[in-house]
Amino acid sequence: MNEAVVAAGVSKRYGETVALDGVDLSVADGEVFGLIGPNGAGKTTLVRALTGTTPVDGEITVRGAAPTAVDADRIGLLPQSFSPPARLTARELIDYYGGLYETARSTEEVLAAVGLTDAADSWYETLSGGQQRRVCVGIALVNDPDLLFLDEPTTGIDPAGRQSLWSLLEELADGGTTIVLTSHSMTEVQRLADRVGLLQDGRLVAVGTPTELIEAHGGDSRLVIDTDQPEAAVNALREADFAATASHTTVVVTGVSPVEIGDAAAALSTAGIDYGSLTWAEPSLEDVYLQLTGEQFAGGERLDTGGVPAGTTTEPNAVTPTAEPQEGAE
Amino acid sequence: MSRIRRIRAEATAAWHSFLRRRTAVFFTFFFPVLLVVIFGALVRTQPTAGGLFAEPPAYYIPGYLATVVLFTPLSRVGSEIARHRDDNRFEKLATTPLGRGEWLIAHTLVNVAIIGLASLLILGLVVALTGAVVPFTARLALLVPFVVCAVVLFCGFGAILGRLSSTQDGVIAASNTIAFPLLFLSDTFVPLALLPGWFAPLVELSPLTYFARGVRALTYEPSITEPYGVELGVVAALAVAFFVAGAYAIPRTD
Repeated sequence: MNEAVVAAGVSKRYGETVALDGVDLSVADGEVFGLIGPNGAGKTTLVRALTGTTPVDGEITVRGAAPTAVDADRIGLLPQSFSPPARLTARELIDYYGGLYETARSTEEVLAAVGLTDAADSWYETLSGGQQRRVCVGIALVNDPDLLFLDEPTTGIDPAGRQSLWSLLEELADGGTTIVLTSHSMTEVQRLADRVGLLQDGRLVAVGTPTELIEAHGGDSRLVIDTDQPEAAVNALREADFAATASHTTVVVTGVSPVEIGDAAAALSTAGIDYGSLTWAEPSLEDVYLQLTGEQFAGGERLDTGGVPAGTTTEPNAVTPTAEPQEGAE
Repeated sequence: MSRIRRIRAEATAAWHSFLRRRTAVFFTFFFPVLLVVIFGALVRTQPTAGGLFAEPPAYYIPGYLATVVLFTPLSRVGSEIARHRDDNRFEKLATTPLGRGEWLIAHTLVNVAIIGLASLLILGLVVALTGAVVPFTARLALLVPFVVCAVVLFCGFGAILGRLSSTQDGVIAASNTIAFPLLFLSDTFVPLALLPGWFAPLVELSPLTYFARGVRALTYEPSITEPYGVELGVVAALAVAFFVAGAYAIPRTD
């Protein structure tokens, strides 16, 4: 398979700050490659390097040419924090950016693809944040690119809009478009990406399919229990041979299979411990992210999962474990 | 044809964006009108007296035109570049076939259209409100290349200011700081005779001086026989130089 993007030893410094530190990367034709990493890890700088909008050290070829020499008609980009002219309508914006290319998809087709037909004649500044982002995605798609760079494409989009954009991107990928996307939504990356690269401190610390990364770094499945008696719950679970740890009002039990959830609930009930909910999940890309970046849950909250539950949540003392393995997980 | 298609797309977007910013439209046309009303109709010229505005009304036509030819491109192009940079639009445009020169051509065309309309308005107002007499000769048509070349020149200058200033406020401050001295010290409103002798060489350094003298040779009866070729040549040459420098200054990367 041909390589759409090849980067070797790519480095970039802003003064004393190292933005990219010897990144090696290849993206095959037709592949969807997801870039994840903490804020400041270098994701946007890497996208800029690959699109030729920032000079870097190292070697980069995009469709066989230097990023600044590649056929611009075949490339699409949605930059981070991009805003088009605010007082043009969605239709005018698609027309405008389409007019910059040799050939472009029809404006109505693009508007329909991003679900903005009804809002096509509204000024950009009057659209909701999610609609604005969809206009931006439409702008990135207008030339029907072979290679599409999307820097946080679904930021600010509501769950329904996000789902429709994911479907759109899946259609593009099915049609052979190569996509490089950055995201803070692990669910988004896990759903869309064929391979994922995790950047931290300017270095690509892991690359692989979501399944490979989860197997290598995701750890065990987990049962998260919400309770006001975390210490007592841990003791009760450990007595029942579960590996449990407490944090604030949460108890995490690792290595629990779905059929063992009932045993864990029974252990809590026997010990007279009340709990708010039981949530079971297989390891996900989010766990890989947390493992490799060393980041912790903030205030007991998990990272953004894109509005899609990672596993099964049960109501108090009514455990019905019907969890299905997640896409990409085994 | 692709180049024309790209320039048309960029210019159309810029034109609609301008027309829909009512404050910008208002001040683009209102500022020179205000100037004509204040100095031409209220203060009035006093040809027999000394001091400022001692020349006949038509003498000041180049000055009134200079207000839009100078201020509008400097502030509009400069601000547009700052706005594009703030919104990451150049990062997007850098990955499209649109070139920097094409971008500047498109925005210059929009400025030519806006300033052309404003210039017609000013000429009409000066004649109607101040009683200025403009010789209606064939050479009056040469106002068009003078205005177009000056707009190109100051669009290029505006692009350079936009590149050098980090914010829209910075662009406005810089353009005002540069434009005000140029406007009054370029043989426009203040005749050379009123300036100190040592300052005269500095007047020759202002691009606007050549615009003012050339326009005066086309619109002011006492100067109507004076040559204008050198002035037009200088303005045209500077327009090319500033356009190239301005196009090169437009950001494509961080």
